[in-house]
Amino acid sequence: MNVDMKIRRPIKWGKILSYAVLIIFAIVYAGPLIMLVNTSLKSLPDFMKSATSLVTSPNFDNFIDAWQKANFPRYLTNTVLYTVTATLVYVVTAIFLAFPVSRGYIKGAKIILFLFIVALFLPPALIPQFQLMLRLGLYNNPIGYILLFTINPIGFTILVNYIKTIPIELDEAAALDGCSYFKFVTMILFPLIRPAVATVAVLHAIGIWNELILPTIYLTSQKYYPITRGMIVFQGVYGSNWPTLAAAVLIMTFPMLLIFLLMQRYIISGLTTGAVKG
Amino acid sequence: MRGYHFGGGKSRWAPYLFLLPGLLLYVMIALGPSISTTFFSFTNATGIRGAPVDWVGLDNYKEFLFMGQASRDNLSALGRTLLFCFFVTTIQFSLGLLVAVLVNQKLKGTNFFRTLYFMPVILGAVIQGLIWSLFLYPLGGPMDSILNFFGMSSEFFGGPPTEAFGWVIVVQIWANLGTTMIIFLAGLQTIPSELYEAAEIDGANKWKVFKNVTWPLLTPSVNTNLLLNIIGSLQAWQLFLVLIGYRNGTQVLGYLIYAVGFGQTSGSVTSSFRQGYAAAASIVLFILVLILGTTTQFFLSRRERRILG
Repeated sequence: MNVDMKIRRPIKWGKILSYAVLIIFAIVYAGPLIMLVNTSLKSLPDFMKSATSLVTSPNFDNFIDAWQKANFPRYLTNTVLYTVTATLVYVVTAIFLAFPVSRGYIKGAKIILFLFIVALFLPPALIPQFQLMLRLGLYNNPIGYILLFTINPIGFTILVNYIKTIPIELDEAAALDGCSYFKFVTMILFPLIRPAVATVAVLHAIGIWNELILPTIYLTSQKYYPITRGMIVFQGVYGSNWPTLAAAVLIMTFPMLLIFLLMQRYIISGLTTGAVKG
Repeated sequence: MRGYHFGGGKSRWAPYLFLLPGLLLYVMIALGPSISTTFFSFTNATGIRGAPVDWVGLDNYKEFLFMGQASRDNLSALGRTLLFCFFVTTIQFSLGLLVAVLVNQKLKGTNFFRTLYFMPVILGAVIQGLIWSLFLYPLGGPMDSILNFFGMSSEFFGGPPTEAFGWVIVVQIWANLGTTMIIFLAGLQTIPSELYEAAEIDGANKWKVFKNVTWPLLTPSVNTNLLLNIIGSLQAWQLFLVLIGYRNGTQVLGYLIYAVGFGQTSGSVTSSFRQGYAAAASIVLFILVLILGTTTQFFLSRRERRILG
C-alpha cells in the first residue's frame, strides 16, 4: 500500500481533457470513413437490413462491380491525362516566367508580378472564359479543358519567392562558363528549386483532380468526363445502391490518399506559405 | 538588369522568348476574362455560339435586384450566402484554433490526429459530399441512429430547406477545418517556447498564458484564417451541388450564378444560358466579397497595430 502511494503521480487533468477532445474529433473524422469502408464490403441486402451493422463476411464484389459499371477505366484515364498534361504545361511555363521576373532580367518584371497579384482581387473569370472557349471552338474539347488549368497565380508567387533564395552569383558563374539561358534554367536552376516545384505541382494537380464545376460546364460528351463528373453520373444511376457507390468512392479516394501520405510535407508547406509572416 | 551574362551578355532576347507562353496563357485564361466580366454584365450574352451580343446597360442589375419574385429569390440567396459565411467562419475559426492548440502540445499521437483532421482537405467536394451522404443516410445510417438514440430525428438533405442547409454547413466545416488548423499550427510553432516558460515561472495559469502570450502572438495566422474563411465561404457552393442539388430555399449566390449562366442541369448548350445576367450576378457577389474582405482587413490591421505596435 505504502509503495503504491509513493509512485502515484498527480492526475494530469489537462492531459486527459486534451485527449478526450482529440478523440471526439477523431471520431467525427474517422466515423464517416469507417462507414464508407464498412458499406463497401457489404452486400446490398445486408445494407438494406441494417445500414450500420458491422460487416461479417467481407467481399470485394462491389469493387469489381463499380469498376466495370462506373466506366472507371475511361474516367480515370481522362483525369490522369488532364491532370498530368495541365500540371506539366503550367509548371514549365511558370518557371520560365518566374525566373526572369524574380531576377529582374526583363523590363517590366514588377508589372508582371503586380498583374499576378491583382488577379486575386478581380471579379471571377467564369463567364468570359466560357465565351472565349466557345468562340475558339474549344467547347467540349479536351484541349480547351486542359488550357483552363494552365494558370495559377499563387503557385507563381511561391516560385518567384523561392527563386530569390538562390544566389544570383550562380547565374553569373554559369554564364561566364558559357552556359546558355535555357540550359541554366533547365539543368541548374530546376534541380535547386525542386522543393518549391513539388509544392506548386502537387497543389495544382490536386485542384485539377478534384475539379467538378469546370467539367460540368465544358465537357458534355461522356467520353471526355473526368472521374469527378463520372462519379456524379454514377451516383445518379446507382444512388440507392450504396455498397457499390461506396466502393466507387473508395476507388476514387485511394490515389488521393496515396499522394497525400507521400507528399504531405509539400502540401502543408504550400498552404502555410506567407500565412504566418503577417 | 543586373547580372545578366548569358550568351556573353548578348542573348538578351532569351528570357523574353521563353516567358511568352506563360504570360500569354495567363492573360488569355485569367486576366483578360476577369477584366471583361464587368463588360459582359452589361450585355445579353448567351451560351449560343455566334448569337449576337447586345448592350443592355443596367438591365441585368435591375432585373437581378429589383424585379418581382425572381429578385426576391436572388436577395434571399444573398442573405443565405451571408448566413453560410457567418456560421462557417465563426465555427471553423474557433474549432480550428482549438484543435491546433491541442495538437501543438507535447503529447503522444498528435501527428496521427493532425493527419486525420487534415485529410479531408485534399479529397475534394465530390468525395467529401458522397462520404457524408452515406454517413447521413436517412434510413438507419450512423447519424440517424445517433439522433434516434437521443430521441431526435432529421431528414438531413431531404428535409426542410433550413435543415438541409444546416447539414451542408456541418460538412463544409468538416471538410475545411484542416486548413484552418494547419495555418494556426504554423503560427503556434513560431512562438518561442521561452515565452511560455517565463509565463509559467511567473505563475500564470493556462488560460492566462493563452490570453496574454499565445493569442496576441498568433495575430498573423488569425488574420490569414479569418480572411481565407470569409472569402472562401462566400464563394463556396460545390458541396451544395453534390449534397442537395439546386433546390429552392437552399441556394447560395455562387450556385445561382452557375445555374443561370450554364443551366441547372448538365447537357447541351441551350438558350436558357443567360450569361450576361449571370455576369451581373457574379459582379454582385464580387462586390460582396470585396466589401466584407476589405472591412475585415481594415479592422484586422487596426488590431494588429494596437497589439504588435
